[in-house]
Amino acid sequence: MYHLALKMLLGDRAKYLMLVGGLTFATMLMTQQCGVFFGLLKWTTSHLSNMRAKLWVVDRKVEQANELKALRDTDVNRVRSVAGVAWAVPVYVGVQSAKLADGNFKPVMLVGLDNATLIGQPPLLLRGRLEAIRLPNSVIVDELAVRRLSAGRAKPLDLGDTFELNDREARIVGICRADKHFFGYPYVYSTYTQAVQFAPRQRKMLSLILAEPAPGYSLASAAAAIEAGTGMKAYAEEELFWSTIWWYFRNTGIPVAFISTILLGFIVGMVISGQTFYAFVHENLRHLGALKAMGASNGLLTCMLLVQAFTVGFIGYGMGALLVVGFGRTAVTRGEPPFMFPWQLPAATFALVMSICMLSALMGIRKVWKIEPAIVFRG
Amino acid sequence: MSTTTVAPLAVHVRAVTKTFGQGEAAVPALKGVDFNARQGELLMIVGPSGCGKTTLLSVIAGTLNFDGGEIEVFGSSLHAMKPRHVTEFRKRNVGFIFQQFNLIPTLTCIENVSVPLLINGASRRVAEQKAEAMLDQMGLPGRGHDRPANLSGGQQQRVAIARALVHEPRLIICDEPTSALDKDTGSHIMDLLRDVARHPDRSVIVVTHDNRIFKYADRLTEMEDGRVQRVHDQAGNPDFSE
Ligand SMILES: Nc1ncnc2c1ncn2[C@@H]1O[C@H](COP(=O)(O)OP(=O)(O)O)[C@@H](O)[C@H]1O
Ligand SMILES: [Mg+2]
Repeated sequence: MYHLALKMLLGDRAKYLMLVGGLTFATMLMTQQCGVFFGLLKWTTSHLSNMRAKLWVVDRKVEQANELKALRDTDVNRVRSVAGVAWAVPVYVGVQSAKLADGNFKPVMLVGLDNATLIGQPPLLLRGRLEAIRLPNSVIVDELAVRRLSAGRAKPLDLGDTFELNDREARIVGICRADKHFFGYPYVYSTYTQAVQFAPRQRKMLSLILAEPAPGYSLASAAAAIEAGTGMKAYAEEELFWSTIWWYFRNTGIPVAFISTILLGFIVGMVISGQTFYAFVHENLRHLGALKAMGASNGLLTCMLLVQAFTVGFIGYGMGALLVVGFGRTAVTRGEPPFMFPWQLPAATFALVMSICMLSALMGIRKVWKIEPAIVFRG
Repeated sequence: MSTTTVAPLAVHVRAVTKTFGQGEAAVPALKGVDFNARQGELLMIVGPSGCGKTTLLSVIAGTLNFDGGEIEVFGSSLHAMKPRHVTEFRKRNVGFIFQQFNLIPTLTCIENVSVPLLINGASRRVAEQKAEAMLDQMGLPGRGHDRPANLSGGQQQRVAIARALVHEPRLIICDEPTSALDKDTGSHIMDLLRDVARHPDRSVIVVTHDNRIFKYADRLTEMEDGRVQRVHDQAGNPDFSE
């Protein structure tokens, strides 16, 4: 009987296309918007993925990775002296202004790494040598910086080229790939001592301290020891990641905007497919009544409607998901718009689309249950 | 009363009442109907519009609940059955032929005819083989893969008859089977239904107000205002076996 149920639905071209189209659209809207949303949120944690350290020691008041309060240079040694800390290194992070060949200025995210260890180094060096960063006035820039800072030049910036960073000459000795920052600033790496030269002089220049627990200490116990011993805040990497994401969740309108779009996707999908499905059942009342008269039970008719609903659900979801994957691939290779596609995302959309189908089917099922088989004899 | 010369009863209806609606709006459609149909006969229920023919047919077929009285169809007591069992009963024992054919337009003729078999649990392959054979028998060879809309009215009604017969039910129920057809086509359909009725283990009940086809009936049951007035054969002899 189920093959006939499908044929009945497929035979009604307009409704079938409407159903599949509505569900494709809903899938796309929900998945794509969530992907962009996750991508955007992930950008807020780019410092973490770019520097990679187990412990992040910051000012007591700091709640997220993009709003750091400066520490004293001596604080590094205070952390080092805490029992349970294997090592601790200083990092400078600050937005500085780079001058372009055409006279314009562009903000860049300047990261100063510990001179001796270079801990926090770029995740992937594409060209050049990391150690060259210790030479005077040397920097490693990311691919975005190459694109951004090349404006007004005949050729894109390359190894050996220079540009002005806060009125000081910076020589490119390496090009790296780094995760993009939420504010869209390119990453420029130098040593800590260089960085504080590039940056305008202030009383406190240290942004944060990266550390690792000594053998035998858990992350939690080392963090607790640092907090007790120094009065600073010590985050485990994971902890700072979520703290940062939650901070943006709580303090910006971004989630509201995205959740509204997702809700909209759900509602649009629901309205289109619910209404179309209801209309389908309504227009086939006579035939469904005839099936009932011929002895089709409510159970059989329910299963037929479910088969119809879930079939269009699978097709619509599949097409929507494919389109989003296509979009996501382009986004990820281009680096923007932000996009992240964890497996939970298609899984959750799948569940939502299936619940849309279930609800739509239920509307039809309610109607089918109420059909009196005797209607088949009424003109 | 001699029961030896008369075929056994297929349908036995006693004192059946049915009222639609309640209070002021109540419409008594059946006011104590007594009525029999025999095996191997084509019985017509005739009478003016609104007299309760369709209602009677619906309660006999088990598609409509009735208020009082008793109905037995081939030994099953509809008045004593749970709704679920009535559905089971219809599935196995009743074939339906409707005024408007009621074929599903998006399905082919074979698929339409296979429906009762599928509802009865047959496999798709078996159901479609039997459906095709039944269409051949109804004089529609080679039309099995057409949609109903590509067939004439008479051909569509033949498909509907094939659908009503394919699962070999014992009771065939037809409500105004010829009223959507012209005279000649209607006659052909009635010839066909008459042949269908010539089967010792079967009974065909036709509701109609089309007096041109009265001549196809073995017996006629005349209804008026919710009651059976008269039962007689073609010669006009009253039927004393009732
Ligand atoms: N579902 C219904 N609700 C209310 N009244 C009905 C319903 N079906 C039939 N009736 C009424 O019952 C009476 C008998 O109807 P019906 O059995 O259809 O007559 P016939 O088939 O002889 O024309 C009519 O008065 C009709 O208006
Ligand atoms: Mg009628």
